Amino acid sequence: MARESLLISTLVELADNLVDDFDVIDVLTMLTHRCVEAIDVDAAGVMLASPGGELQFIASSSEEMRLLELLQIQVDEGPCVDCYKDGQAIINHALTDPSDRWPNFSPRAMAVGFHSVHCLPMRLRGRTIGALNFFRSAQGTLTEDDVIVAQGLADVATIAILQHRTSLDARTLNYQLSNALNSRIIIEQAKGMVSQATNCDMDQAFRRLRAHARNHNQGLTVVATMVVEGALAGNDLDFPKESKSR
Amino acid sequence: MATDRLLAVLMLLAKRERSHPHDGSLCAVAAELTDLSGAGIALVSAQRQYTSMCTSDAVAKKLMDLEITVGEGPCIEACLADYIIDEADLDEPNQRDWSAYGPSAAATGARAVFGFPVRIGGIRLGALSLYRDRPGELSPQQLSDAHLMTSVIGRAVLSMQAGAPRGTLADELEREANFDFSVHQATGMIAVQGSMTLGDALVTLRAHAFAMNISLSELSLRVVSRQTAFDPNSTLWRDEPIGSS
Repeated sequence: MARESLLISTLVELADNLVDDFDVIDVLTMLTHRCVEAIDVDAAGVMLASPGGELQFIASSSEEMRLLELLQIQVDEGPCVDCYKDGQAIINHALTDPSDRWPNFSPRAMAVGFHSVHCLPMRLRGRTIGALNFFRSAQGTLTEDDVIVAQGLADVATIAILQHRTSLDARTLNYQLSNALNSRIIIEQAKGMVSQATNCDMDQAFRRLRAHARNHNQGLTVVATMVVEGALAGNDLDFPKESKSR
Repeated sequence: MATDRLLAVLMLLAKRERSHPHDGSLCAVAAELTDLSGAGIALVSAQRQYTSMCTSDAVAKKLMDLEITVGEGPCIEACLADYIIDEADLDEPNQRDWSAYGPSAAATGARAVFGFPVRIGGIRLGALSLYRDRPGELSPQQLSDAHLMTSVIGRAVLSMQAGAPRGTLADELEREANFDFSVHQATGMIAVQGSMTLGDALVTLRAHAFAMNISLSELSLRVVSRQTAFDPNSTLWRDEPIGSS
């Protein structure tokens, strides 16, 4: 699909999802998938800040362990932490020297085949709520256009999260961020249950949760909550259709 | 790496443990961190029975006893609604309809009460209540500090239930303030392996990590990669690789 049509359909998809009570993790997962399609990157992940100010993994374009681990390590160190603290984008950071500015992150990213990282802040009116992280396996650089497209998508997602309710009061915002992070924990717990019950890996477990949510027109968190509360058995989840995108 | 606010919590906890070794340090720290008059923590059982875990002072204790007796109030409502509960002025209540709790709570000297759920994903542990002797809403900083406290309390309750030695919590929190994703995945797996609740699964996991003298993350990664599993029949852990069934 040409980039322009992809962007338009992404915006429509976002608008369609941003109804009352939308699922933040659903929307952010979709955002990471669209970023991978729209700009020249191989994987994308989102980290949101907890009420204590620590970054936590919230959504990614793939649930493979290698990517989750790279996002997890950035609770302590890595492009997301720097990007979140400074509120500044990090673009085309080549991973060539294992002992560069992130001595724990960089060697691990290189070990799993990534050659460059990029990170964009998620911010609105001076408040940074998290960071969007991209990984590339091939050498080369993101173009200025790529960056504009990615930042545009990140901004739309940020507005979506922050403007969810009509009033942007501190109580609602705080609760919403901590709720989104707790939802992510529920999803991980549900993935573990599905993985054990159906003998599949975590990526497949996540795809089944997501497929079931889509087919039944429910939020991902709603489906995951049904699983952890025992109202929905792992074996009863729908299977995903064959999918090309990661 | 602990953030500045978490380090503040750990310092307050360390100070408390030294000066008041056996009282409810967590409640005292919650009150001090949020700069409110007092705090209480209620735990909820699977059968929805509420018990007081600790309170920071006499008024907080009266409020907690009252709440558990009449069956309504900020902790119980925070647990039921899974949301923040606030009543910024007990004398002129406009947020909550607490016909039994409200007037008696005001008589203790509290003017504003707040409740925050304590949870780890789908595991509902209880709630933190905070009170102030003056009316008024919480500031954004107080709100985020209260949220931070609920995650510290969640970890503390879990350590307690897993029989962790006293004083290990601070070290743990300093190393990793939040569990990594593998811990939550392993919790889900153990819940299915042992046909138990997620809460029991996390406690079982935690206790086994202590027994093995490895970190919870390390054990969790072994569970997720199916190198170790919990056998419900023997209630033992099998550490050899298990094939797919």
